[in-house]
Amino acid sequence: MKTDMPLSKPIRRFLSHTEETLDTEISLLRQPEADPGGTLVDVYTYDIDRNVIIFPAQYVGLLKDFVIAKHCTNLMLKGAAAKKATYKVCSYTEDSVYHGMRQVYIDALKDEAKKEKKLPVQKLIQMLFILFQHFNDDLNELPWNAIVNASVYHRMPKIRKTQLYHVMKESKNDMDEMMEQESIVPRRYFVLNKAMFYARDMFLAKTLPADELIPVINIPQMKKFNHLEVKEMLTTRWTNTAWYQSKVFGDNMLAIIDKPLGLVRWNDPPTIDYYYDLYKVGCLVTDNLLSYMTMRDWFVWEEPKHLLKAHENKEMYEKDALKKIFGDLIADAWEEKL
Amino acid sequence: MPVKEAVELVRKAKAFLKRTKFKEAMAHVERALALDPRFAEGWFVRASVFAETSRYKESLADCDRAISIDPNYADAWTKKSVMFYNLERYEEGLLASTRASSLNGNDATAWYMKGVCLDEMGKSDEAQVAYGKSLELEIILDMKAEQDRARKR
Repeated sequence: MKTDMPLSKPIRRFLSHTEETLDTEISLLRQPEADPGGTLVDVYTYDIDRNVIIFPAQYVGLLKDFVIAKHCTNLMLKGAAAKKATYKVCSYTEDSVYHGMRQVYIDALKDEAKKEKKLPVQKLIQMLFILFQHFNDDLNELPWNAIVNASVYHRMPKIRKTQLYHVMKESKNDMDEMMEQESIVPRRYFVLNKAMFYARDMFLAKTLPADELIPVINIPQMKKFNHLEVKEMLTTRWTNTAWYQSKVFGDNMLAIIDKPLGLVRWNDPPTIDYYYDLYKVGCLVTDNLLSYMTMRDWFVWEEPKHLLKAHENKEMYEKDALKKIFGDLIADAWEEKL
Repeated sequence: MPVKEAVELVRKAKAFLKRTKFKEAMAHVERALALDPRFAEGWFVRASVFAETSRYKESLADCDRAISIDPNYADAWTKKSVMFYNLERYEEGLLASTRASSLNGNDATAWYMKGVCLDEMGKSDEAQVAYGKSLELEIILDMKAEQDRARKR
């Protein structure tokens, strides 16, 4: 472990355990402009020789410890998959991009037919790939977020209060996501996106019990949540929003997440086999969510390198898909604009 | 009152330190200390440079120099506790962090260090109290940072 920053005991042990189990090295890096949730740059995704966990400079204590615990768990999942079989992520190909964008286009047309104020064609075309990629990002993140949070909760009771704050904050940010594009995004995708986060939040609300909230309510900004348990807090937030219709889909997605995760024995010995099984559960949850949202042909399970390559080629994939959907004329015109 | 030129050199040293340019930071702070050896902040900044380059004993010695000039220098006490922790001298770390948190009750690091040292000494319950205080302060700082970020957007 390349760090001389102070760490609480369970985190230091977990870091060492991860390094030993995966036979790898983890560095910790404090950065002023780091993402509030921290970032993991790992050897299983990138062509590098050691893993780096980056977190915001203002995280000096338990907030830093929680970010480390979260990313370390993620690293265990990736490392276990890479060691036991092959670590794969949700990637995309030229064909799958076409399937996704075409589906979004068809759904957008249905929405547009009902709208009084039509979306400019250029904007509509632009939105197709943006939305496709948005779902790719979310599906590569959301099921793992639920798993990692549940695992940290069960394995590290001492940082539960910190976790609670993170979960509340993350939930708020995820709820706000896509809001600016509400009038542009086809209703179906807006609702599905919100429903995914609703399901994640409800799963976590079930996992994190009420009594852990108490110390956090000393903070003035958290006072409004006084006497509310986590489940109530998250439910209140969701039911008071304009997208409460997401609840119907969200409840179904909650069942999809909850069913396999409900069977996990979170306190079993943290061996490589254990994390590999957990990785397989994550893949299953992702597959089931994809089926539920009828997006099975949008993405492919591939190694991380494939996804990095796909990101490099995304403009080409987008252009080719547009050609297939609209014909050469629109694709050429689109290229001129780029 | 510290020598004006020394203050300016320490300001520059801190800027280099922030950008992890340790050599430059050290050169500036040493010039400052040559000009004004009674400038407590100078010793503290040199302690920080030593700490960043894993020279814990030297850092500890500089914290002591800063404290000998200004016994109420809370940040120097906090840094001292971190160095004790790195040297696995947890009981001394606890004393330093306790002093730091009594001088500045709003120092999240001082409370965290207190928790970490107590934890290492097997005093888990007391550690939880210190961790709780540290977390409250950290959350307030984080909320402020979030607001600043939102304002920038």
